[in-house]
This record gives sequence, C-alpha cells and structure tokens, in this order.
Amino acid sequence: MRLSIRESYAGRHVLLTGASGFLGKVWLTQMLQNDSGVGKFYILLRRKATRPAAARFERIVNTSPAFKPLHEKYGRDLARFLSERIVVVDGDISQPGLGLDAETSARLGRDLDLVVNCAGLVDFDPDLRDALTTNVDGTIHVADFVEGCEKAALLHISTCYVAGTRNGRNGEVLVPDYAPNGEPFDAAAELASARVRIAEIEAEFETQEKADEIAAEAKAQLVQRGRSPDNAKLVATLCRRIKRDTLKNAMIEEGQERAQKWGWTNIYTYSKSLAESVLAPRVGKFKFSLLRPAIVESALAYPFPGWNQGFNTCGPLSYMLGGWLRELPLRKGNPFDIVPVDYVGNAMTIGGAALLHGGHELVYQCGTSDKNPLTIDRACDLTALAHRKHLRRKGDTVVDRLILARWDGVEAEIDHTLSVTNLRKVTKGVVKVMRDLPNRWPKMVHRGAKKVADKVDKIDDNLDTIERLIDLYLPFIYENHFIFSTDNLLKYDVVEEPFRFDPTALNWRTYWINVHIPGLRKWCYPLFEGRTPEQYRPRHKFVLEDEAPAETPAAAPAHGGSR
Amino acid sequence: MNTPKRAAFFRAEGVLVSRGVLAATAYYAANAHKFGERALRLGLVALSAPLQGLLGQNDRTLANRLAFLAARRMSEDRLAELGEEYAEDILKDKILDRGVELIKRARAEGHRIVLLSDNISEVIEPLLPHLPKIDDLVCNRLEIVDGEATGKLLDPVVGSHGDGRWAQGYAERQGLDLQACTAYGSHGTDLLLLAAVGKPCAVNPDFTLRRSAREADWPVIEYQE
Repeated sequence: MRLSIRESYAGRHVLLTGASGFLGKVWLTQMLQNDSGVGKFYILLRRKATRPAAARFERIVNTSPAFKPLHEKYGRDLARFLSERIVVVDGDISQPGLGLDAETSARLGRDLDLVVNCAGLVDFDPDLRDALTTNVDGTIHVADFVEGCEKAALLHISTCYVAGTRNGRNGEVLVPDYAPNGEPFDAAAELASARVRIAEIEAEFETQEKADEIAAEAKAQLVQRGRSPDNAKLVATLCRRIKRDTLKNAMIEEGQERAQKWGWTNIYTYSKSLAESVLAPRVGKFKFSLLRPAIVESALAYPFPGWNQGFNTCGPLSYMLGGWLRELPLRKGNPFDIVPVDYVGNAMTIGGAALLHGGHELVYQCGTSDKNPLTIDRACDLTALAHRKHLRRKGDTVVDRLILARWDGVEAEIDHTLSVTNLRKVTKGVVKVMRDLPNRWPKMVHRGAKKVADKVDKIDDNLDTIERLIDLYLPFIYENHFIFSTDNLLKYDVVEEPFRFDPTALNWRTYWINVHIPGLRKWCYPLFEGRTPEQYRPRHKFVLEDEAPAETPAAAPAHGGSR
Repeated sequence: MNTPKRAAFFRAEGVLVSRGVLAATAYYAANAHKFGERALRLGLVALSAPLQGLLGQNDRTLANRLAFLAARRMSEDRLAELGEEYAEDILKDKILDRGVELIKRARAEGHRIVLLSDNISEVIEPLLPHLPKIDDLVCNRLEIVDGEATGKLLDPVVGSHGDGRWAQGYAERQGLDLQACTAYGSHGTDLLLLAAVGKPCAVNPDFTLRRSAREADWPVIEYQE
C-alpha cells in the first residue's frame, strides 16, 4: 500500500507524550529533521518541582545529543524553527484529563489529529504502584482524552514482550484480556485486585507493629555504623528511608509474583499488557493502533550512529561480557530481537501516517527476529569481537590490550561449572575460611586473612549484582524463543526514503561492532561505572520563544515545514 | 575508455606479500572464540604445516584445503573481523616493496592487473587498499552455511595447477592476447600460469619453480622484505 508520510502529516497536529524519553526524543527530532510536514507538535511534559514544562523542554533541547542534528542544521535559528512548530503543554498522563487545564484541553480536543503515547516506565521491575500509574492509568487517561477529542487518533507505544513467556511466532493481534499462560484472565479484575493488594501492603506499613520493627532495624543499623541509637532525629530519618525502601521492595515483590503467576517476564511487560487489555474494548470507539517495538537499542544513523540513553537491555549484558566474566547463560539459536531506535522512530511515523491517511492496522510489531534475525549466540560473538577491537587498541593497561582483549565471553548452559552461582559458592567459601581461622594462629595471619576476606567479599558483591542481572534477563536470553512478526509495517510502500522501515537492510556485524557497542561504551557504560557520559553543549542555546497564536487545522498550510 | 588488451598476473604470496596461507590460518586458530577451540585449531594448523611444505612445491590444493580446515565452524563475523585485523596489523607490514613496484610498472605499461591469492577473501580483500589498484582479484572462498564456515574451500581452489587454465579462460573473456601478457609467480604451482603467458617471471621461486625457470630460460627476480 502506497503511503506518503509528508502527505499524511501535512498540516496535521500531533500531541506527543514521553518526549523526554529515549524513543520520544528520537522520534520528535526525526520528524522535525526530515520535514514530516506536521503542522504543530504539542509536547506534553510534566512539571518537575519548580521547573515548568517549557523550561524542562528547553533543558532537553540544550542538553540531549538527540537534538544535535537540529542544532547543527538550524544553529541560531533553531529557537524560531522549534517555536513555530512546537507548543509545550504542562500536563501529566497519570492525572485524569492528562492534568490539562480546561482551556488547553478544549483547544487540543478540537485541534489534534493524532496523539502519540510514548510515555511509559521501562524499568523491568519497578515499584508496582509506579508501573500501574504510568503504564496502565496513563494509558487509560490518554485513551479517555483521545476519545473526547473531535477527530484525534491514538498511536500507543507498547512492547512486543507483552507476549510474555510464550515461545514461537507471535502475531500482530490484540487479544482482549490476554494472559500468556493461557488461563482465563480478566484484566479489569486483575487491575482491581492489584490495587487492593497495594492498599493492603501500604496499610501494613502504617501499623504500629511495622513501625516498631523498622525502628529496631534503624537502631541496629546505627549501632553497626558506630552511631548512637538514641539520636531521635537520626533514627527518624533512617526509619523513613528504611520504610520507603522496604515498602518499595514489597511492591516489587508483589508485582513480580503477579507477573510470574500469569506468565509475563517482569512487571514492565505485565503492566504494558494490562494497558493493551484496557484499550481493547475501545476498538471502534476511536481510531487507534498499538506499536510494539522489541528491544530498542542504539541508533543506526539518526540522530547519529550509536546514540543511546540510560540503562537498557544490551548495556549491562555487553558490559559484563567486556570484563573477566566469560560464561553467560545464553541459549544457542534463540533470537535476540534488537531494533535500532531510529528504526522504531520510522515505524512510529508509519503507524501514525496510516492512522491519518487511512488503512491503519490495529497492531504493528517492530522488530528484527522475523525478517533478519540475530541469534543470542551471534550477539555474544559479535560483542566479544567488538570488545576485542576496542581493547586491542584502546585498552587502559597492557593486561587489557593483551589478555582481556582475547578473553571472549561465551555462551554457556545455566548450570555450567563456572556459572556465577558456582563462582559465588567459591567466594563465600573463601570468605568463610578466611574469617574462621583458628584463634591460635598469629595476629599477622589474621590481619592478612581479613584483608583477603574483605576483597573477596567485594568480588562476591559484584557477582551478586551480576547474578541478579542475569536473572532479570534470563527470559530474553535463555528461557524463551521469541519471534515477532512484522508484516503489518512492511505492507506499506513508503514514498519518502528517510521514513522507511526495512529490517532486512540491517547489517548486524557492522551495526554491532562499529555502531552499537561503541555507542554503549560512550553513552551507557559510564553510568554503570558511576561516571557521567559525555555532555552535549550546543553552540547556540535554545530558548523557547513565545507561543505563536494557535492555528486551527483549516488555516494551517499544507506543509508545516513551509511556514 | 578501451580496456587494455594485456594483463599482468601476480601471485600474491611470495610476490607481493611475504606471508603465506599458514600464517593466516594460525592467526585464525589462535583467536577462535573459545579457549579449547584455539588449542584444537592451532594443533590442526601445526599438522598441516609439514604438508604445506611437502605439497606446496607442486599443487597446493590439498595443502590449502587442510590449512583452512582450521576455520571450520568459525562464524562468518569472526572470519571477517579477524581477517581485517590480520590484514591491517600483520599482512600490511609484510607487503614487498619490489612487488608493488612491479605492479606499478605493469600498470604504466598498460597492463590490466590481476591478483591471484591462495588466501581467503576475508584476508586478502582488506589488504587491497594498501596495494596499487588491482583490477581483478581471484582468491579462495570458504563455504559458509548458516553463518558458519564449513572448513571447505569452494571450487576452484586457487593455488592449484588450475590457475593456468583459469588464466586462459580469463584471457578469452577479456579479449586479451596471452602472448602479450605477463605473469609473476613464486611457487611450483605457478608453472602452468607462467607457461600460459608470453612474458613469465619467477619471483623468489621455490625449488621446483627455480629449476623450471632455469630450464625454460625465464627471468628470475629475487628480493626480500
């Protein structure tokens, strides 16, 4: 089906949520850079503390490397260019009516043609309350808002992994009240039950018994740190922190249990799937599509090769393989569905255009496992080769250049002799032996043993982190064999070359070794090491100019870019 | 632009670079993915080394096939990356200046430049940017199935007596006058290639080729790194 992006978006008004996220930023800048023809972008941003939405947007534009191509293209004119095309709206998807004031809501309700809901909490196992608020309630509020609009359609960004722990080929269908384990499931009832349980857990933390337990824990910690347990102020501060952390952990545990019970891999996919289920009954009430990306990773080309942001799936895994850890549980032959963020941006553009133009599909999956699969063992080999390439030339020490560069990470079975679990048994054993030396042995030996025990303890802490990470990723790298079909996106014959989505064009070797891993090294690994990634400072600082008078769609010219 | 009617055929190993196939296969073996694999593959290369020496005087087909068995089940990605690495870090420094001069001279004389290499494409192709312009490259290719090398060299294996027949077919396809063509070889295997052209030249010849060159009164050039 022929689809012209510029014709579809010409003069249309689009509301974007989640513009501060990795995907949201790339899509927005892609659309602006490639003259998509959008009349006006309304950017819904939440006010943060004293920083209003407009100031937040300015900060994003002035600090995010995603805006680099726009800064380079427009320079000093960027302020005018963006101010003509963008209106920043103070709002919050976790609030009914998106937290908009009545006037803005009414204006947007008249003007909007498309709402792109990119907002979401993407942590694998977040606090259940946050996951439900952002991923489920947020979706409900956005859907309510779109339903109240005169003509707006909705493109909702979900994830392929709503499929849960279901092996094999996953089609592009929206199954109402879907649960991966195939048991009868009522999403509304599950949501209500989760909320009841959340209230119960919160209530448990308000009891005197729990307060006493926390106070006792706080005092014990203070004693352990050599501080006075009688300092009431200190105890109160510590109690608040312990309460916050343990409550959060209880919520995470509750979320994990619920996700596992129904067959989802984690809280993220559980909450995203619930969001899809709450949208399902609205089919026919207004136009909407779900776009499900697989694992979104570094940009292939836009905003520049290798751009990535924050913690993601590949980052920690590849980081581990770049060190001394060799055996990682990976199931040979399992597809590892990675898709560059700019590919997903184009998929969003196509999904949105189809909604505006007509001929849209209910579900689009955006991945590579169907048409150009990368297996997990190949990804492991490519990661080793990418680290090798870097370390041989730029390793910090001789050991890095000569040995670590050739210390390739390899795929292994979960119960491998050198698995992290087994290594931890060794470290724990060493610590125990070092700490339980007979008293009759000389003090010097005890001192030396203590030093060794402390060092091995640190190693054990690192292994503990690695073990927990591996557990988090096991469903994607070992346990399941996912293939996500992408036929719906590929049925469109997109006229404009920069907006095309073609997973078969991706050369995995070039992408992985020359783009993706170097990108992770630059933008993500510093975060794991507690360092700040390279900062972006544009030559000309962007300041949002006063909003131009709102235009009605009828008065808008054919192409936003020509204004 | 008219295509030159003459060509100069260069054997890479011995004429242009001072490293043969074994060095490349040893590099692959030593840098395989797993430690165990490295040891096994290096063992295989070590076993094929004496055969390369014995058989290399005549037809290197079997020797080349044995040497590249060390790449069996190695991923296509690793073959390409290590090939590039080997060409950049090792082979580039083993380019023989006199060989490069011969190419330049042949080009100046209006010859089409054809390079024949016993090495696989993953090794020799990354070397091309460091050589004067080559019009055609003929080298060995490993069979790849499901992203992994089977260890089998695809036919025709370069480095055999078939190279002479190949040169004749090439001359026909390109409309070349073989009597006006030049060939530079360095091994006994190159005998038929050199015999096929009007101006053969033995470069750093091995025992078999040196003896034949003397008998046929072909010019012999000697140079080192």
